[in-house]
Amino acid sequence: MDSIFFYRPPEAAVPADGPLKGMNIAIQPNVSAAGWPTDAGSNALARFVALEDATVVERLRQAGASICGSTRMSEFGFGLDGSRAGEAIKRNAAHAELVLDLMGESRLAASAGDVCGFKPSYGLVSRFGLIGLIPSMECYGILSDSLKNIREILKAIAGPDERDFSLPDETTPDFSPQNIDRGKTTVGIIKEAPGSLPARQESLYRAAIETLGDAGLTVKELSLPDFPLFLPVHKIVGAVEASSCTGRYDSVRYGVRVPGAKNWNEMYLSSRGAAFGPLLKSYLFQGTFFQFERYDAYEDACRIRARLVAGMRRLAAQADFWAIPVERGGPDAPASLADTYAQFALTAYANVAGLPALYLPPAQGRPHPGVQLSGPRLSDARLLALGEHLLNARRGGNA
Amino acid sequence: MMEFEAVIGLEIHVELNCATKMFCDCSNRPGDKPNMNICPTCLWFPGALPRLSREALEKAALLCLGLGAELQPRSAFDQKVYYYPDLPKGYQLSQAHLPLARGGAIDISDENGRPRKLRIHHIHMEEDVAKLVHEMEGRLPISLVDFNRAGAPLVEIVTEPDFRTPSEAMEFLKALRTQVRYVGSSECSMENGTMRVDANISVRPKGTGQMNTKVEVKNMNSIRHVGDAVAYEINRQSADVQAGKVVTLHTRLWDPDKKVTLAMRGKFEGPCIPDPVVPVIELAPEWIERMRTRLPEMPAARAERFVSQHGLSGEEAVFLSADPEVAGYFEALIGQGVSPRTAMHWLVTQLIPAVKDRGQELSGSAVPPARFAALLNMLARDEINAHAAREVLGQLFDSDKAPEAIVSALGFRQVSDPDALDALIDKVLAEQPAAVADVRAGQGKALGFLIGQVMQASGGKANPKVLRDLLAKKVSAAS
Ligand SMILES: [Zn+2]
Repeated sequence: MDSIFFYRPPEAAVPADGPLKGMNIAIQPNVSAAGWPTDAGSNALARFVALEDATVVERLRQAGASICGSTRMSEFGFGLDGSRAGEAIKRNAAHAELVLDLMGESRLAASAGDVCGFKPSYGLVSRFGLIGLIPSMECYGILSDSLKNIREILKAIAGPDERDFSLPDETTPDFSPQNIDRGKTTVGIIKEAPGSLPARQESLYRAAIETLGDAGLTVKELSLPDFPLFLPVHKIVGAVEASSCTGRYDSVRYGVRVPGAKNWNEMYLSSRGAAFGPLLKSYLFQGTFFQFERYDAYEDACRIRARLVAGMRRLAAQADFWAIPVERGGPDAPASLADTYAQFALTAYANVAGLPALYLPPAQGRPHPGVQLSGPRLSDARLLALGEHLLNARRGGNA
Repeated sequence: MMEFEAVIGLEIHVELNCATKMFCDCSNRPGDKPNMNICPTCLWFPGALPRLSREALEKAALLCLGLGAELQPRSAFDQKVYYYPDLPKGYQLSQAHLPLARGGAIDISDENGRPRKLRIHHIHMEEDVAKLVHEMEGRLPISLVDFNRAGAPLVEIVTEPDFRTPSEAMEFLKALRTQVRYVGSSECSMENGTMRVDANISVRPKGTGQMNTKVEVKNMNSIRHVGDAVAYEINRQSADVQAGKVVTLHTRLWDPDKKVTLAMRGKFEGPCIPDPVVPVIELAPEWIERMRTRLPEMPAARAERFVSQHGLSGEEAVFLSADPEVAGYFEALIGQGVSPRTAMHWLVTQLIPAVKDRGQELSGSAVPPARFAALLNMLARDEINAHAAREVLGQLFDSDKAPEAIVSALGFRQVSDPDALDALIDKVLAEQPAAVADVRAGQGKALGFLIGQVMQASGGKANPKVLRDLLAKKVSAAS
């Protein structure tokens, strides 16, 4: 168990009364909990202890949950190398986990752990106290083997926060349980999404789509020719944001300073050089390159991002939800930035466009890798209802 | 010899006098003990998020409106990326692409009294950086960072290159300072660092429209220094061009002791990318209108009113309206029944120097308008003379007694009662028969002498007008 957890508090606080009473939730060490070590998986924050609670921690505790510890994570949550997300649930050490989703990490961790994984709409949950990396794309993902748990957790943490001004001024969705009408609900499959999926995986995806029809949903083919651009846009915009976001780790005010520098330029170079691991370093170099050398490409990427967001909005007029394959591409142990990106080719879209996305594992005994469902921004409650509808249908219910 | 003219543009940083910093609730008091006004946000601790201060936005917006600039419906913050220990997150939040306001202008008179309109290109908001202090720890040089100033709210006013002379730059800055003080957004003191000015200067053969390579000059800490530095730089560049040297783009620092500009090492200019965290600022037309109603009467309009309403000369009116404190004080005196002429004269020649001598500010001084007006009204009613009024003014600073009480206590009340003066006059006339004879012989001087004698005998309290009339009547009657 120690290898899963990065930190477990010596004694858990007595939980408040509330809808989450009795629920143990694991977080990652990039979520501030006062007094807990929060290194965000990086040497840059080695031995850093959080000063105050993140909004999500405060709200989960107020709702009765017990925060049972933080699990090991990849550096700043980028990719899944070194992450143990999903394992605490598998080992019955937690009922749910919060896992940072930068380009699909929470959904792929859910897929690996065979549990449900949900990434909320961007702007629904306060990021106050989150040690993030890509401000315009990052989001807490919620993992659990019960969608009801996910819904209750999201209900507890969603909504305006006076400490996070970046949350848009919007009405928080109503998370009460709701029904999905058989025969009146359409799920679109985006023709271009499978892209270069190997033939075997594509047939598994088709098999997963069939289960949607079994649940009384109308499946409709849609087209977004730009879909393959989601990943390159993420590469450029995400890396640029990550590069400036990590500028604060300069060893001046906190963090680890490598001694012996003759001047502060040298201090920056040696301390920041020691702060980041090789994968993150290449990611930050990439961002710095676009910032300083190819600003035009960055501007193009921002324009294309706006076009992609508009494209997804058009699709929302043609179907209620979308089903997108889940396939962790690339090698199992990614050695490079390119390998890492390959894993997230089919999940990064939700981060680029700020959409909610739900990973549902396959029914027991079924060979397909499960399915990823998504919908328009702020359709979170309906999307979770769709997930519950599909799980019900599997159990033979016809709700 | 070729004649040159200068092309000058200014970049003016104004520190807003907000209670808090721009993105957190820390006190905006950079001068406090080092690192007293800091928090996780302005130190950019992991997990902290910036929250744009409403007061900073309002004070910046008022400043823009006061300078006639047009507030933009949409403005946003960018990250100016560079690494330096005074910048706690590797970028400065500034509005590089979508500024808060565009346009605006300031009217001045040039050296020849001709009106000039000097245009503003845009005005944007940005956060200030920390202060570095370099010290020695034994023989080891160390650098300390004071983060009190980090995140302090600033606006930057960027002008068009409309200026041609050092005097225009100085007049512009004076007028800008007056207008910003009027809207109440900043004290704009170059001496205290709440206004910092960089000047971009290039020269070209007079009469041509070309725009040549400019040189940026920094580190002036008074408006006069701006004029001196600009003048020096124009001469330096003209001489260089005359000598066939090429002007290169660089930054120079003004050395106030040697009165020269010196080239400084090139500063690295990083890129500016849109900040993904601070929300885009969208200003509704109604909000802008609401801000506009909060604008006070601006100095030019006030000066005009002082001429038409109070009969001041144009020069007096401009002088009085330049400082909102002075103008407000002047109007308060008038509100208490003091005549405009008396109010202007006593405010400018007596009260302001007295306040300055005591190191006080007019607004918080020990002599608020009501007390000063009471004194001036006694003067107007001939209850005291000018000499006594000056004496009592001095006392007003050290005592909280009413002016009337001080006048009585010091026995300054003028004697205007003819019966009381009669005895004194008779006594003096009896003592000075020679002078009386001189007066009768038509020597005006002698009358003055006699007045002085009676005044002395009265302990300076005789009303000079009443005294003169009585005395003249008596001397001629006795003949
Ligand atoms: Zn602060």
